[in-house]
This record gives sequence, structure tokens and C-alpha cells, in this order.
Amino acid sequence: MTASLEKGISVLKEVIDAPIASYFNSCVHCGMCAEACLFYTETGDPKYTPIYKLEPLRRVYRQEYTLLGRLAKLFGLSKPVTDEELEAWKPLVYDSCTMCGRCSLVCPVGNDLVYMVRKLREGMAVSGHAPDGLVGASTRAVEIGSPMGVRLPAVQAQMKHVHADTGIEIPLDVEGAEYMVLMSSMEIINFPEYLGAIARIMKQAGKSWTLCSDAFEATNSGIQIGVSDIAKVLVQRIVDGAEKLKVKTVISPECGHAYTALRWEGPNLIGRPYTFEVLHILEVLDGFRTQGLLKTKGYEEARLTFHDPCQLVRRGGVIEQPRNLLRMVARDFVEMNDAGQMNWCCGGGGGVSAVDEAVPLRLQAFKIKKAQLEETGAKTLVTACANCRIVIEEGLEHYQMNIPVVGVTETLASHLVEGD
Amino acid sequence: MTIDNDSDFKTALDELSRAGQRLVAARFVENVLALNQDAKVTAAVSAAKRTDITEDELAAAVQSARKASVDSFTQCGHECDWSKQAGHFVAEAALACIKPAEPGGNAAWDAAMHARMARTCKSIAAGVGTDNDEAAAQYGILAEFMNK
Repeated sequence: MTASLEKGISVLKEVIDAPIASYFNSCVHCGMCAEACLFYTETGDPKYTPIYKLEPLRRVYRQEYTLLGRLAKLFGLSKPVTDEELEAWKPLVYDSCTMCGRCSLVCPVGNDLVYMVRKLREGMAVSGHAPDGLVGASTRAVEIGSPMGVRLPAVQAQMKHVHADTGIEIPLDVEGAEYMVLMSSMEIINFPEYLGAIARIMKQAGKSWTLCSDAFEATNSGIQIGVSDIAKVLVQRIVDGAEKLKVKTVISPECGHAYTALRWEGPNLIGRPYTFEVLHILEVLDGFRTQGLLKTKGYEEARLTFHDPCQLVRRGGVIEQPRNLLRMVARDFVEMNDAGQMNWCCGGGGGVSAVDEAVPLRLQAFKIKKAQLEETGAKTLVTACANCRIVIEEGLEHYQMNIPVVGVTETLASHLVEGD
Repeated sequence: MTIDNDSDFKTALDELSRAGQRLVAARFVENVLALNQDAKVTAAVSAAKRTDITEDELAAAVQSARKASVDSFTQCGHECDWSKQAGHFVAEAALACIKPAEPGGNAAWDAAMHARMARTCKSIAAGVGTDNDEAAAQYGILAEFMNK
């Protein structure tokens, strides 16, 4: 056994806790998780059944923590997990699982398969079986502060750009601001309109806000690759920034997993509650709406539909907020089948979009989103995650569908009533 | 006419007709066109400059420019290649020139902003900071266009 495999197996033993033990014991092999997984439904290949993706973890559990399994191991009746097997499982654990949580939602005995995948990824990463793309992203996130290599000067360039575009100065490191706004690298690199939209909305709402030079990045590749230590470092960076600036609320951007990582996993990762609140941008905007702080004019002419980012809708419960906001600016808003908490993933979450080898499978899995969209007859798709946005744009391009994809925040901002 | 700030620049662009906005937008894109090697982008700029273009031809050019934009996105989690990202914003600028007008929108302003992002990305890639003269160049392009 290699040293890295030994460490990986050791990690797998450590991460098997009471919930995982109970999940393995209560699985009734009904196959409902398969029907909930887009990689299974769009390929028909049984290897993409979510519970099957967890086989290495199940074997370690049986061999280490069950009487029969231990006896079998003792008498050489069960084979130990090998490097070759973990390497063979890499495409199942990383390329074909977006950690979208649909399988967890439908499991009749309540098994949280996403929790189990995340734990399996811990062992995979330590044993050297994480995809190179995610290893690189995690390394850059720790060393540079961004999984995509964005440094503060690039953020400052975007601030200047937004200032030129909107006439609004972007606040940086303002102590005592009510809100600290985070962005994803995707928004910094690809979607400058997000920051511009925030600036305009905050101005209209009359709220104080700031970016933080030490913590502008919201995403957490530690969660995606499955390394808690990295995830903790990245959460701590945001916590330190927010506490230094003494803000009341940190706003997670239009990104799915960043919200989950910061809001739900963060306090457990750093071992204490936050001194501030964490909200997704959609929650903040809907709060502004209910307080009467958003004044809009006009309506979108095209038929709109909304793609629910998995981490927001299934693990965050952010369901009605985007719909409330879109109804302010769209008369012809239509829902996809399976919208809301049962929405189908774009196919690129959970770090999948960072894995080059996963592209063909991802595009195959996109067929379900294509079908959802075709049924609606929508002319524009709105979403609230920059990663979903690009993955969907790629899928639409691949299948020759001419549907623009935009974010909720920028859509709303484009209808603001702005005085002189 | 002299333009030396964004306020005057935007006001002047707003006063142009839709056709005028498209023509000057194309010139903004041409100023950064060297940062993108995709023939679809060049074709989109050419389409923007044609006054006799049909709706079908325009729709085809929009689809082609959109493909150039999607093809050049930096994917989530990938290390940003700022030179390629400059090319992406050139594609976005070209798309802004020709896509259907939005209420209250200004194609030339949008193209100008994307072109500036392209130049900024190129400056980052070259390791010379983020300051550049693209805005000043655009003021000059617009002044020349309006003085003709």
C-alpha cells in the first residue's frame, strides 16, 4: 500500500461517522437515487447510480466498522480498497456528481448522499485521486485567494470599470458598512455587469456596503475537492475580513456552492458561530423588495424562465425569492417542469466544470435541461449562479439553441428607476 | 468637437441614431480587434458596418458572435489566461454591436465598455498593471466619427 493510499484510507475511516453508518445500513437498494441523477437518466448507464458511486466508502465502512466485514477482512474474504480502484472511481466521484442533492432529496429513507460523496472526496483527495483541475483550483485559492488566479488589482480594475460604466464609486474596505459583498472569480472575470448591478441597487436602496481587499472571493474549492482544511482556510479568510470591517451582513454572490460553503458549512468548519449574518444576494434583494426599497419600471418583453441553482434551492431553501424578483420585471414568466426544489442541475456544479475530462459527459447530461427549456418556449433564461450560467450557455451553444442567459441581479438592475 | 470624459462620451453616444451607434461601436471593436483571432468576431464587426444588411444576415451574425463569446469564456475553476480573456471581451463587444436593441440600451456604450475590459485584460496579461488608454482612444474615435 502506498503512503498516499494509506493516508486516504485513514481519512475515509475518520470521516465515517454515525450518519454515514446509518445511511449505509438503511439503504434499501430501491434505485430512486438513480432516477434522480441526470448522469444516469441521460446515459442509462447504471454506474452513474449515486449510491454505487460511494462503493469505495461502503467497502471501507464494512471492513472497518461491521462485525461480518471485519471477519471477512481478517480471513481474506474481502479485498482492501486499492489505488487502482480509487483511480477507476474518480470519474464517478468527481466527473459525474455535481453534488446537486437531487438524490438526497428523493431518498425514501433520508440518506444524504451528497454528504457521503463529500466525505468520499476527502479520502480521494488525500490519496491523490482528485482531478488535476480541482487540485489546481484549490492550490490557487489558498495561495492567491482565487481558484481562477484573480488578484486584487484585477478586482480594482473592475471597480474602475464599473465606476466608468455606472458613475458609482465602488467602496473598498469601508469599516462599519452594513453589507460586505463577495464575488465569485467568475463574476470578476466574465461578468462585470454583476458588480455594476449591485452598485446601482445598493445606491437605490440607500444601503452602505463594501468590498474587502482581503476577502473578495466567495467560492470555496476546498468544499468541491473535498479537503476540509482548505475549506476552513477559505471560510476563515472571509470571516476575518468581515470581522475586521465590522459588517452586519456578508452577501454571498450569484454562485451556488459558495453560499452552501459559507452559510451552512462555514461555522462548523471554523468551530464557532459568526459575528455577522450570511445571506445570498437573492435573499437580500427580496428583502429590499419587501421593504419597498426597489423601484422598477417596464417589463422584459421576452418570455423568461428561471433555472434554480441546486445549492440555493435544495440546500439553501432559496426558492421564492428569485420568483418574487422576476415577477417585478417580467409579465411572461414561465416555470420549467420540475422547477424549484426538484430542478435539474446544469451539469457543471460540484467542481465538474473545472474538470476538462468531464466535458463530453456534461454535455450529454445537458439534454435534460435542453428538454426542460424546450417545453417552456422561453426566449431568455435567468439564473443566479455564474457557473450555471456558463455551463448552460455552453450547452445551449452545443445544441444550437439561441437563448440568452442572464443573471437575476443584472436583470433587476436593468429595470431600476434611477433619478438624476 | 472634443470629448475628454465619460459623461460627455455617453451623452454623445446617446444622441446618435441606432445606425450611428452600430457604426461607431464597430470602430471601438476594431481598435481592439487584434486581441481576438476568431474570424467570427471579424465577421460580426463587418456585419455591424453594413447599412444594407438583412435581418436574416444580422441574426446569423449574432449567432456566430455569440458562439465566439461562449467559446472564449474562462470556465469556472480554470486559471484565467488574461490574453484569452481579452479575446472574450472583444467577442462580447462585437456581439454588442449587432444584437437586437434593448429598451434604454446603447450598443455603442456597451461595445465601448467591453472593449475597455478587453484592453484591461491584455494589460494584466502583459504584466503592466491595469491602466490603459482605451477610454481616451474611444473619445478620439467618437470625436472623429462625429466630426465627419
